[in-house]
Amino acid sequence: MIKKADIVIIGGGIQGCSIAYNLAKKGAKNIVILEKNTCASGSSGRCGAGIRQQFGTKMNCILARESMKIFETLSEELDYDIELNQAGYLILAYTEKEINQFKKNVVLEQSLGIEAKMVTPEEAKEIVPPLNLEGIIGGTFCPTDGNVNPLYTTFGYAEAAQRLGVKYYPFTEVTEIETEDKRILSVITNKGKILTPIVVNAAGGYSGPVGKMAGVDIPVYSQRHQILITEPIDPLWKPMLMSFSENYYFQQLPDGGVLGGYGDPEHEIIGDNVGSSWQFSRTMAKKMVKLVPILKEVHMVRQWAGLYNMSPDAQPILGEHPQLKGFYMSVGFSGHGFMLAPVTGRLIAELILDGKTSIPIDKLDIGRFKRGELICEPSVV
Amino acid sequence: MRIKEHPILEFNPGKKVKFTLDEIEMEGYEGEPIASALVAAGVKVLSRSIKYHRPRGFFCAIGKCSSCLMKVNGIPNVRTCVTKLEEGMKIETQKGKGDFN
Repeated sequence: MIKKADIVIIGGGIQGCSIAYNLAKKGAKNIVILEKNTCASGSSGRCGAGIRQQFGTKMNCILARESMKIFETLSEELDYDIELNQAGYLILAYTEKEINQFKKNVVLEQSLGIEAKMVTPEEAKEIVPPLNLEGIIGGTFCPTDGNVNPLYTTFGYAEAAQRLGVKYYPFTEVTEIETEDKRILSVITNKGKILTPIVVNAAGGYSGPVGKMAGVDIPVYSQRHQILITEPIDPLWKPMLMSFSENYYFQQLPDGGVLGGYGDPEHEIIGDNVGSSWQFSRTMAKKMVKLVPILKEVHMVRQWAGLYNMSPDAQPILGEHPQLKGFYMSVGFSGHGFMLAPVTGRLIAELILDGKTSIPIDKLDIGRFKRGELICEPSVV
Repeated sequence: MRIKEHPILEFNPGKKVKFTLDEIEMEGYEGEPIASALVAAGVKVLSRSIKYHRPRGFFCAIGKCSSCLMKVNGIPNVRTCVTKLEEGMKIETQKGKGDFN
């Protein structure tokens, strides 16, 4: 292993790989990615891999829109087929309150060039014919939202980064981060020590402990989120189905399997447990069959879990730590890290190399919690 | 050949019953696995592989391998090796991944 680097990235998932690729693309040298397991073995490879642009705050809409722009040409850029499938997101509303929020969201989204629109229950059924409309009073649909293969996307970034000279070390666990005078000095791993002035914390579900190694308290915790997938079946419908109030997201993927999950912040395990529970598969199956009754005869074949790295306002924490020079964070994505990684990787690279970003992300700094300037995003599962 | 003993599944074949495979009438014993009746009737191809549509026959016989997925009484992807035969069942070989429409 090398002894000295200009930039050490901790975490070889989608964040770390996107940041490394963007740094190398901008001409940075001596970049190292340290991954304690294998590429995308953490939450990147476990995520639902849905990509949406329908959000309730201007900043999130802009970030998501720019991320989708990158996804649209990413297969060519990385020379790796990431299986982009722009089948749309149909977000369903069950209450008047939700409809009112969605109306505001759509006005905002359209003003930012996102193709979202309100749909009636009848229009929703035209888009997704097997839909059971019980309780549904409307929704929004954005045809350019979609999904990709999360493993291929992460591998694509990792390989493209390595072609540009980035060194990727799997099975390399960081055990200590040495600092001096509020500056980064070195990173110590189970394979040796690397001297570096810059560390990027892109450790996803493990970003809190990585912060502690550097003596920095990052207000994040990790929580298990589960997903199940059915056997592949002939095409029934295309878009992602999602509801915030009824709490579900699921979609038939291009290969025919129906994949989905829901959030359960009150009951799900906090920490790094990625085991599976029968309560999840039972509840999720019920939600799926209620919405798409035809699924009742379809077999579930697998379930798994990954970690949401949660921040106090469920928004990412991006940027350099104010009390530790050279310690950059790309953490706390709260379930949206994969879909935002193309854009946040680019912005973190800009921040490190140019000291400024092409899209403002200063509101996402770690200082916002002390200032009490939390971001209120209404549209999250 | 007819399967009479199985290391995992227990089945006590009952009376002789009629069923159809792709509208061809066949006979088997009530309560035996559908796949068992098909094999006994000389049916070798139960399904086709998803990508190249290669023939798939009786394989794991314990409901794990998906080689015996067939349409039974209109429901696709039924594991015929672990589903009991009933009088008058309509069995169909299926194309593709299972048409639930």
